[in-house]
Amino acid sequence: MTELVDPEDPAAGLAAVVALRRLADRLEDSQVERAMRAGWSWSDVAEVLGVTRQAVHKKHARRLVAAGVALRRR
Amino acid sequence: MPSDVRSILVRSARDEARRDGSRTIEAEHVLLALARRDETAAARLLAEAGLTEGAIRDALNREWEQSLATAGIAVRIGLLPEATPDPDRHPPIGESTKLLLKRAMDAPPKIGGGGLGPMRMLVGILDTERGRVARAFTAAGVDRAALRARAVTALAAGTR
Repeated sequence: MTELVDPEDPAAGLAAVVALRRLADRLEDSQVERAMRAGWSWSDVAEVLGVTRQAVHKKHARRLVAAGVALRRR
Repeated sequence: MPSDVRSILVRSARDEARRDGSRTIEAEHVLLALARRDETAAARLLAEAGLTEGAIRDALNREWEQSLATAGIAVRIGLLPEATPDPDRHPPIGESTKLLLKRAMDAPPKIGGGGLGPMRMLVGILDTERGRVARAFTAAGVDRAALRARAVTALAAGTR
């Protein structure tokens, strides 16, 4: 197995950190939306993400309402 | 459309951040906002270097793909699942934007009645070899230092 990032190039390694955060943000936004469209509850989404229901609600509820997703109450 | 700092930053760059799903307005969003103002000298300078709005988006995606590849992740950005943006979100100014504004203010000539116009903001964006914008330029094969020199010359000649 080769090394994950080139040890001689911290600039590339740090840029990879930013790229991974962007990827995680994009995946979170798209997959929470997909789950809620499929009728998941906030509690179920929160449990999978390992955060509180309030946290996931605060972060995504307004966006999903604007996107026209029919949200379950709990 | 007026091309002052307020309208570029607060309206166009924030639109870009929102569309990108970003929590903050970063330098790449300001760059896209500048490129969209095709009536400005700054947008013309970018276009002459091949950096139209579409080309900048492609370059930023290529940078993203390359940096993910560094971490062993092979993805095509165009194939990533999309998320609906939040139309009501008002992303605040991020760290890379604070830095570019500071660099723009510090660029000669001393900032005066002309204020913080598009060319000065472009100089601020081009004034670093770090971050996603500089890496995207490299990915696109654009000579950032040469482009910066042209923007600095235009600014010194009185272009806003």
